[in-house]
Amino acid sequence: MNGMTSRVELPSGTRRRESAPLGRVIRAELGWVLRRPRNLLALLGLTALPVLIGTVIALTGTPAAGSGPRLLSAMAGNGLVLPVFSLMMTQNLLLPLVTAMVAADALAGESASGTLRGLLLAPVGRVRLVAVKAVGVLTVVVLAVGLIALSGALTGLVVVGGDGFVTLSGTTLSLGPALGRVALAAGWCAVQMAAVGAVALAVSAMTDHPLVVMAVAVGGLIVFGVLEALPALEWLKPVFLTADWYSIGDVLSDPIRSEDLLTGLWRAGCYVLVGMSAATALMATKDT
Amino acid sequence: MRRKNIALTASAGIAAGALGLTSLALPAGAQDPNLPRTTPEGLVSSVLDAEAPAMAGTVTVDNDLGLPALPGTGDSGEFLSAGEQSLRVWSDGQRAHRMSVQKDNGEITVVDDGDTVWKWDSSERTVVEHPDVRQRAEAEGSGADPAELSRHIVGKLRDSSSVTVDGTTSVAGRDAYELVLTPKPGERTKLREVRIAVDAEHRIPLRVEVEANGSAEPALRAGFSRIDFGSQDPGLFRFTPPDDARVRTEDPHGDAERHGRAQQDAEGPEPRTTGEGWDTVVTARIPAEAVRGAQEDSRGGKSERNLRAVLERSGDPVNGSWGHGWAVDTSVGSAVITSDGRVVTGAVPRQVLIEALKEA
Repeated sequence: MNGMTSRVELPSGTRRRESAPLGRVIRAELGWVLRRPRNLLALLGLTALPVLIGTVIALTGTPAAGSGPRLLSAMAGNGLVLPVFSLMMTQNLLLPLVTAMVAADALAGESASGTLRGLLLAPVGRVRLVAVKAVGVLTVVVLAVGLIALSGALTGLVVVGGDGFVTLSGTTLSLGPALGRVALAAGWCAVQMAAVGAVALAVSAMTDHPLVVMAVAVGGLIVFGVLEALPALEWLKPVFLTADWYSIGDVLSDPIRSEDLLTGLWRAGCYVLVGMSAATALMATKDT
Repeated sequence: MRRKNIALTASAGIAAGALGLTSLALPAGAQDPNLPRTTPEGLVSSVLDAEAPAMAGTVTVDNDLGLPALPGTGDSGEFLSAGEQSLRVWSDGQRAHRMSVQKDNGEITVVDDGDTVWKWDSSERTVVEHPDVRQRAEAEGSGADPAELSRHIVGKLRDSSSVTVDGTTSVAGRDAYELVLTPKPGERTKLREVRIAVDAEHRIPLRVEVEANGSAEPALRAGFSRIDFGSQDPGLFRFTPPDDARVRTEDPHGDAERHGRAQQDAEGPEPRTTGEGWDTVVTARIPAEAVRGAQEDSRGGKSERNLRAVLERSGDPVNGSWGHGWAVDTSVGSAVITSDGRVVTGAVPRQVLIEALKEA
């Protein structure tokens, strides 16, 4: 099905295999990603973070109103704010860092260890190769975000307590809808991280050094943060991926404050499109 | 070549994504709609005559007034301070309203179910209940004829300003007329004009812009950034305080009485206005203690919260035959606060205020 396999001399009599079955390739990639100790450690650390925050809050109490970061004072007696708060805290740096780490391993890491050449010659199309690598990154993103939300929700329910979840607007939700809000926040956060992952994957396709990928991804987010603070660049702000990241807390309003969340989804979708297209273009034109 | 095709398709993907991002940064370019012509009187009359429709919307307040942060103004002070604020509003078209403002640390929601007003502050987990607001509001409301009233209002405005309908505009995707008030040349004011956009269909104001002299950007812009007309979920206009919230009930009568007496004790005479139209100057009195030095603050309040400290930081000291005080200039007006507790303010340059002080 592609140009590069045509150069491989096939023994006469063997039926030429067009490409390896997708399921097997994805399974192999996932096994590879999920067995890497650093990925597992990162996931473990992210899972532990909400437990840590919850314990500290249970021991010391929430800060007085008006101080501390967003949402923190809303956490008193309200266990289901904890997962949203944890996502908000980790999505600024920790989650992008983990995402970029996996994306760096995906292509630049293979390139650095000399195994990318083998993958490019293997009977897997290049578009398919990028897609499989993207699935690997996405799996880690979804796992990381899901684990934070899950451990946050459990910690919140156990430590802070959560009979009747009070929204920021003062209405009371029962457990089901409240968990729905947490799931919504987690899904939204996963899409944002997918955007980071897509751009990181594009950088990963460009370079042979995994460190460069992490530096570009995390550095880019920091640059966005710095530029956002400049009033002269206010007009440019809607383009920054991080522009609406704080609005993840809007799921806790009732009715949900959806404007910024939807803008954020659209923006993240654009970043995913740019990142994946760039990664595909770079891989397709890469010399073996 | 297949790879070339992939690269081309992918480049198109990059371009599409970049275009999508650009669309976020570009302001929604709406053309000014074509609407039947109307006169200022007709427009004002239709606004006064209009019934409030059921709607949900987001109001954005963009404030460039340049006011210093004033102590003790609380939530309203937050709105006066520079920057952008947005609040969500709902109305059922009859008597119930709901409003919610996002703050850094949570949200303030005000629910008016027609009889009782509830104010919820999520960062402090407090509920303030104001019962029986309706009776008072109805007692205060007057049932004047809108057409008569609008003639009166426009007539009054025409004394000092030119009132025109300056074409049409589009606010939050809705067609609107733009009513413009411009001060007459003789008026000594810092304002250039006030623009009010009125929805063409429902005749409610959608946006107010205050423009000051010497600035292209409005000093204050408050308007809907999103608005949907139509019936709203009645559940939005009910409020039940959460279990563990602190609920305080405000007694309107007792409070008003107490407040009134305190005001009389502290402030003496009622605020007075001098001048007419755009150069109206308001003279009021505040307790002289408030303007005394920080070290004399008997309550031991923090010096930043002390009015004098604020004045010394952001005001210019001014002297004259009328005494000594501080002048604060903003883009839309000025204020002079004297050391003996007189306050004069208006949408005028500082000299007009000082003249008013001399005359007083």
